[in-house]
Amino acid sequence: MFRKQNHKNKLIRNIDGFLIQASKSSDFKTLHLDKPNIELFFFSTLIDEETLNHFLLLPLQEHSPFENINDVIKYIPISEIHLCSENPEQAGEKIRKGHILIRLKSDNTNFALVNVKNGKRGLRESNDTENEFSVVGPKLGFIEDIETNMKLLRQQFSGSKLIFEELTMGSMTTTRVVIGYIEDITNSEHVNTVRQRLRDLDLDFVESALIDQTISDHSNTPFPLFLSTERVDRVTYTLLLGQVIIICDGSPYVITGPSTFFDFFISPEDYYLPWIVGSFFRIIRLFGVFFSVFATPLYVAILTHHYVIIPKDLLGPIIESRVNVPFPPFLEVIFLEITIELLREAGARLPTKVGQTLGIVGGIVIGQASVEAALSSNVLLIIVALSALASFTTPIFKMANTIRLLRFPLVLLAAGWGGFGIIAGFTLMLGHLMRLKSFGTPYLAPIYPFRITDFKDGFIRSPFRYTTTRPSFLRPQKKRRYQVNEGKDEFDDE
Amino acid sequence: MNVTKIDEKYLVSTFYVFFLIHASQTGIGMLNFQRLVAQYTEQDAWISVIIMGLSTHLIVWMIYKMLLPSYDILAIHDLCLGRILGKVISTGLVLYFLLMSVVVYRTYIEIIQLWIFPWISTWELGLFIGFIIYYFVSGGFRKLTGLAFFGVVLPSILFFTLYFPLRYAHLDNLIPILNHSFIDILKSSKSASLVFVGFETLVVYHPYIKNPEKSKKWAHIALLYTTFLYVVITLVTLVYYSQGQLQETLWPTLSMTKIIELPFIERFEYIFIFTWFLVILPTVCIPIWSCTRLLKKMYKMRPKLSLPCLMIFIYIVSIFIENQAMVDTLGNLTNELSFYFVFLYIPVLFFLFSIRRRLTNR
Repeated sequence: MFRKQNHKNKLIRNIDGFLIQASKSSDFKTLHLDKPNIELFFFSTLIDEETLNHFLLLPLQEHSPFENINDVIKYIPISEIHLCSENPEQAGEKIRKGHILIRLKSDNTNFALVNVKNGKRGLRESNDTENEFSVVGPKLGFIEDIETNMKLLRQQFSGSKLIFEELTMGSMTTTRVVIGYIEDITNSEHVNTVRQRLRDLDLDFVESALIDQTISDHSNTPFPLFLSTERVDRVTYTLLLGQVIIICDGSPYVITGPSTFFDFFISPEDYYLPWIVGSFFRIIRLFGVFFSVFATPLYVAILTHHYVIIPKDLLGPIIESRVNVPFPPFLEVIFLEITIELLREAGARLPTKVGQTLGIVGGIVIGQASVEAALSSNVLLIIVALSALASFTTPIFKMANTIRLLRFPLVLLAAGWGGFGIIAGFTLMLGHLMRLKSFGTPYLAPIYPFRITDFKDGFIRSPFRYTTTRPSFLRPQKKRRYQVNEGKDEFDDE
Repeated sequence: MNVTKIDEKYLVSTFYVFFLIHASQTGIGMLNFQRLVAQYTEQDAWISVIIMGLSTHLIVWMIYKMLLPSYDILAIHDLCLGRILGKVISTGLVLYFLLMSVVVYRTYIEIIQLWIFPWISTWELGLFIGFIIYYFVSGGFRKLTGLAFFGVVLPSILFFTLYFPLRYAHLDNLIPILNHSFIDILKSSKSASLVFVGFETLVVYHPYIKNPEKSKKWAHIALLYTTFLYVVITLVTLVYYSQGQLQETLWPTLSMTKIIELPFIERFEYIFIFTWFLVILPTVCIPIWSCTRLLKKMYKMRPKLSLPCLMIFIYIVSIFIENQAMVDTLGNLTNELSFYFVFLYIPVLFFLFSIRRRLTNR
């Protein structure tokens, strides 16, 4: 679908062609100076004017006139200067990235490119993690600038094991995309797959979420097949386990893969807390997923079809709370679930402060009022609110969305066939998950295919003493992560 | 010769044979076999179950003897019976597998109609279940293996529900031990065969196992586990029901779970029946997959074509089975057929095979 066609790019014959094309834009400036007999060409939006004035124009005015271009660059106190006479395409690319083209008025073929890029414009100052929060541990997140992101990762790894491979993608945007992996840990098959899929891609606009969707193994699935995160520590960890990462310029989200279903419920915080506490939180999270998917369908199934399975002591309160509700449980649930979804969507679109107010108004007022107006029962209000809450425990936002979506078909099935509908829906879901693959790695690992050794860091977070090996479903080149001597953790460098 | 090697990426790991065999044995029969087994032997029923369980080991041993590397039943038929007779019997095998899945499929619908939704029509539920079966079988053998895996692991929680009837156990129900004649015990064993058969699909999916030589061990462990499970269930049933009661109870296992009471749930058999869907699904899907596989190898019928045809056939047949009496009749017929296929036909085939091998070796 996204296969690359062979583009017949019109080759720019000489630099003048580029300059004429570019001068159609209003921000493209041309300076013809007489005192120093030179011409300057640049995009005013991309360069730093102060640098231009102080380090370029001033010294040049002092030393003019010039004989040839080599003369000119002698006096410019800027380190990144390229001298070129041919390859106009590359020159054009450089200008587009914030270089200034300088040439003598008398000599049209030889010119110099000086880097006066304005690095700061348009970048945000803070790189806190905004959407994946953790109380303990570093709060460093990626930002939209790829250089910064690469630096954040590069400075973490000792030696030269961390490999970055750069590709340029997008037919209109020419975005830099970087594949990262650790040599002799990451299985080269994964790297090859990623490289091949990225090369085959033909998009006019490239962004990490787009890459995520277009290179995935299955397009018809609600489940995210790759984990994308803005946390630096999380990416470092996945690299260490032997996964591949994709960094994309202009996006604070880094794609990591191959991922499994259970990766999405792991929070980096689990590793910063004692293993017992970390495991407890992880189990709570997984329980939250289960609850969030099955609670309302069960309510519908039981109250529509199987009220006999409620013990009589429990039946009293449920009947009492539903006695005035005129709708069948299915409509009641759909009404409340959609209300919650509307609240969530509105909260996500509104500015933070308004969103908070809205949450309170929606949560308390609408909920209470709908019970008083007998549009829904108290018990259901509790269940729906809890299951919404439970779905937000998932650390990765994309997965949390999927989890919230899953309950709707299940509610429908439960209304039709009760408990059987739920178990059938669950079975279908299981079948679907079994079919999924992420870069060719089974999505449901380590449960299916069953690998007992990978359970050490699955449902629970075992002590570091026991997690000395990398997960085997990633097929890493080196299995051992570190060596443990008499209860003391020691990292093995080999 | 009908031997083709399957591509490495379609093979399943050796130890999944445990789940495949166990999952294809446990099914609907587990809900009601106790009554049939206790018909002749009463309190000694568990001995018959053990005898039956042990004899399945013998059959699986024979099957593995016959199945040379990447052999399946077609290759064996070719070798022992010749091309034409082999093809005829193999076609019969397709019908047999089809019948097996129809029975399980229809019986499960019957259980749901009987216990939960008396108002639901066969065609409605059948369509829904049929769709799920189609989805799984079309996923290929590896997905079926996954289904078998989950079909064993997830419902195994139900095993703990046996604790509740044990609280009302009368241990003296079991004595006197061994006061029935040997013939009676064997008769009971024959009745018990209905819960043990199903593993014979091994003769079709054998080429899909990564390391068949090593899988033997897992196959036998699976049989052992099945036997253990059935013996425990039989014993619990025997101490829970009196003989008179047991003969009057249509679904002893389900009725036993009725007494489970938890603070938030009653009528536990609902949960039991719903979870049982995961148990029966492999016993329906694996035979259907075997049919498509045999049809593909014998008549070059593409599974894309044969699977919808089979599903439509199963669906239509199940609609025509109208009531419980018909379900029972068909069930009994299939049980007889299974018994003779597994315990008569396979030994005969093994006998022919050994003669054939001996002749060729000379």
